[in-house]
Amino acid sequence: MADPTTQTRTLDHGTQPERFARGWHCLGLASEFKDGKPHSVEAFGGKLVVWENTKGELGVLDGYCRHMGGDLTQGTVKGDEVGCPFHDWRWGADGRCKQIPYARRVPLRARTKAYETVIRNDSLLIWHDPEGSKADYDILPPELPDVSNREVYTDWIWNTVPIKGSHCRELIDNVVDMAHFYYVHFAFPTDFRNVFEDHTATQYMASKGRPDVAGGYGDADMFLKSEATYYGPAYMINWLEVDYKGFVTEVILINSHIPTGPDSFLLQYGITVKKPEGLDDKTANFIGKKYADMFGDGFLQDVAIWENKAPVQNPLLCEEDGPVYQLRRWYEQFYVDVADIEPEMRARFEFEVDTTKANEFWHEEVAENLRRIEAEKASEPVETSEGVS
Amino acid sequence: MASFVPTSEETVEDQRLYTQARLVEVECLDCLARVGVKKNSEHQTSVQWTAEAQAQCPDLVRRKSAADGARLVHARCPRLAASIEAAVADGRIQIGAEDGY
Repeated sequence: MADPTTQTRTLDHGTQPERFARGWHCLGLASEFKDGKPHSVEAFGGKLVVWENTKGELGVLDGYCRHMGGDLTQGTVKGDEVGCPFHDWRWGADGRCKQIPYARRVPLRARTKAYETVIRNDSLLIWHDPEGSKADYDILPPELPDVSNREVYTDWIWNTVPIKGSHCRELIDNVVDMAHFYYVHFAFPTDFRNVFEDHTATQYMASKGRPDVAGGYGDADMFLKSEATYYGPAYMINWLEVDYKGFVTEVILINSHIPTGPDSFLLQYGITVKKPEGLDDKTANFIGKKYADMFGDGFLQDVAIWENKAPVQNPLLCEEDGPVYQLRRWYEQFYVDVADIEPEMRARFEFEVDTTKANEFWHEEVAENLRRIEAEKASEPVETSEGVS
Repeated sequence: MASFVPTSEETVEDQRLYTQARLVEVECLDCLARVGVKKNSEHQTSVQWTAEAQAQCPDLVRRKSAADGARLVHARCPRLAASIEAAVADGRIQIGAEDGY
């Protein structure tokens, strides 16, 4: 092999998987689907229909009728079933056709793809597995205590962002990306740690905002303590403690996504804030909205990078970088057949970096930026009552 | 079935380099669980466990049963951390990276 230190390094774009991850996927707030109408959700390269039955339960089926391919999402909810707009075949949440109004009997083979569902933390989750296994309820994301209690937490603020031209693994890579917090989100990471184990991947991060830039987390009065765990491939719970000028707020951020195609996904994030003692609802909701905007901006900063970057199977790392290869090895378990899961994909891996060294460089850079900003301000013409001087 | 498939031999070598190279086996002075440790610098530590080692560490076992599927407790095992420090102190773990990592 040629000497790698003199060779030009190339990006290996690799080939993307032909399947979508196995695991629990969040389709959004359950309440959004409870209006008596069928809803359309793009997912896994196709379309799903979601509706509420008479018992208040949500059903999720493949969006196209097995009769003549009618679009069930444009159908009508009739009792517990969804009726196809084409010939009114009535489909139940178990995936069976229950009735064909113009026929004496329903063909025994009238079964469509049904998804197992769970309501968790006010959201609708479905189990997806290309191998068609039964849902694994043991690996559901945990229930957050009191999160559905509006006395304790504010209403969810729920946002969706469609991403085109990126595989959802780009989003996952952020778990290990210590340095991007400074460059993309304008915060100094002061503490950084990862743990991957079984079906979970966690990032611990503490940061303080940069004083030289606004937007994102850039604000010298802002201190974040963040603990973020992926439960499976697509649902992350992020526990955040936000300290703004000494006022500490507990924020829950749900970061989930649904793959929609080989290089597209729907990013969904929900935010709720624990109502601070002694604050009225209006103020608590205002704080919730403020943080939703802030973390929303944060995601959009990431999106701008993803939409323009190249896919890379062989990232080149420096010694301050996080364990991106180990994270991707963990993520691989959701894309291979269960029989092909290697022990090292699920074995515990810990990574810790003391960010002191990196922050020394960054503080110097920020100090230089602040000096430049001051100098620019000083040289700008000043408006006075006599006009521009 | 592989999923994200690299298209060059060098990528496979990079995967090996970044995940396996220079992992030094460290035995916990307390429970004798054996893990792989790599330190690219003074302030950076990677610890690769195996299922056997996880089962052997009383600290991890206790926390796992206590957490009960709720918010996970991920703090490192203090006894293993001390064992790693001891291994660094007596020179068994080389600190440094190959070409940057």
